[in-house]
Amino acid sequence: MTMVASRPAAVTVPSAASGPIAEAVASGELPGRVWIYSNYHCNLACSYCLTESSPRSERRQLTAEQMLAVAEQARSLGFTALGVTGGEPLLLPWLPETVLAMAHQLPVVLLTNGTLFAGDRIKRAAMLADPNIALQISLDSHLPDLNDMARGPDNFANVVSAVPRLVASGVRVRIATTTAGPLDSPLLDPLRDLVRSLGVCDEDHVIRPIVRRGRADERELGVLAAARDIPSELTIAADGAFWGSFGPTVRSGRLDTDLLLTRTILPLSVPANALLATMRGLPEGADASLGIR
Amino acid sequence: MGPGQPEYVGMTRVQLLDAGRAPITAQQYYAEGDPGPIVAALASVPELLGPTLGFVAAALGRGSTSVRLKEFAILRTSALQGCQFCIHAHTSVSLDIGLSPEEIRALRGEVPLEDGFPSESERALIGWIDALAGATGPIPDDVWVEARRHWPEHVLVELTVTVGATMFLNRFATGFELPTADHVMARLDAAGLA
Repeated sequence: MTMVASRPAAVTVPSAASGPIAEAVASGELPGRVWIYSNYHCNLACSYCLTESSPRSERRQLTAEQMLAVAEQARSLGFTALGVTGGEPLLLPWLPETVLAMAHQLPVVLLTNGTLFAGDRIKRAAMLADPNIALQISLDSHLPDLNDMARGPDNFANVVSAVPRLVASGVRVRIATTTAGPLDSPLLDPLRDLVRSLGVCDEDHVIRPIVRRGRADERELGVLAAARDIPSELTIAADGAFWGSFGPTVRSGRLDTDLLLTRTILPLSVPANALLATMRGLPEGADASLGIR
Repeated sequence: MGPGQPEYVGMTRVQLLDAGRAPITAQQYYAEGDPGPIVAALASVPELLGPTLGFVAAALGRGSTSVRLKEFAILRTSALQGCQFCIHAHTSVSLDIGLSPEEIRALRGEVPLEDGFPSESERALIGWIDALAGATGPIPDDVWVEARRHWPEHVLVELTVTVGATMFLNRFATGFELPTADHVMARLDAAGLA
């Protein structure tokens, strides 16, 4: 029996959602993905982290029940995809099962730093070998020292060790590279070659700029971005609902509220409708021309 | 303090969001500059701004009753509730709409009510306000009967909503220690009503 055949029927049946959100998503006016910040704490402390995440961060995490409710309601409203990020989501012991359940509603991309797959932990990750799930792992340079300068000791070694094993386990892996330089720089070619050698195809290698928010803003790194430059994906965190996955940033220990939509996260229709109303009230802008994703 | 910054940043129990930190769903309330500490505090939960301000505007703003009667309800209630922020703000508003310093002192409870309000009908109305905002539990029939003797029912309904909305604002401002703006205090000082 294949993984696809074993999936609940709901997965393969397109959502019959109707209403303003479904119409806006179908027309392309509203992005289809809903992001979920499962938690804020992390085993790393990257120099450009949007949320100042570290082992010492306040957890501020969603529950599994909340994440499942977001997934169910996102599908009902007409959204078409989910993303889970943090912090490091896989620090939550119940996260793999929850993501698997969420994937019964909509396709999920799970962002992880890729450092928690040592030893037997790779077996836990293998349950994410599902056609509706992709893991997105960060890798910023083909040079271990340069990568680890931003992301922490041994990060490079952990990632290049984990990715082929995940791929071999049947897990779809995407690599995300965050760079302070041009997105099309030939200096990234060796990294592209490395990513291919790990078993990840070019279309699953995302290269994006550092966004000057959170800790990156304190260090004056990255590109300045107004709301219209940031994809208006509905983003849910313990602190509320935000415009875009770059919304719930933290600097000097204080949450940025400029992209806050509502403190109410459920029912999801409350922040979804607030997002749509806000989008329609803003003047036209650059619409993500900075390549932020 | 930089140009355009509110006068009260950092002086309260809760964050007062300035324009730079105001949620994207609250920006309309900052379009004409500093929206004041009530909005700046409420902006932390931006979905509350629309319904709350809509209710407060309807309850405290111009309606079927005169602004003079509305200010009776607001200033008297604020004095009974001991809300310094609202007393200051609505002493200033009361001056704007033409209440005399003596009327203001009487509404604030600083002089006997009779000193400011010789009119029996206005005292009956203030009696109703006192029974609502200055006590708990049932309101004696004689207070209602006296108020009704002078005022139509719809006026009492409208002003009772004004009292209720004012009590909400009183507790909001008092609980979070919202500060009075410097220019308001300067004005009250000049009028001998600080």
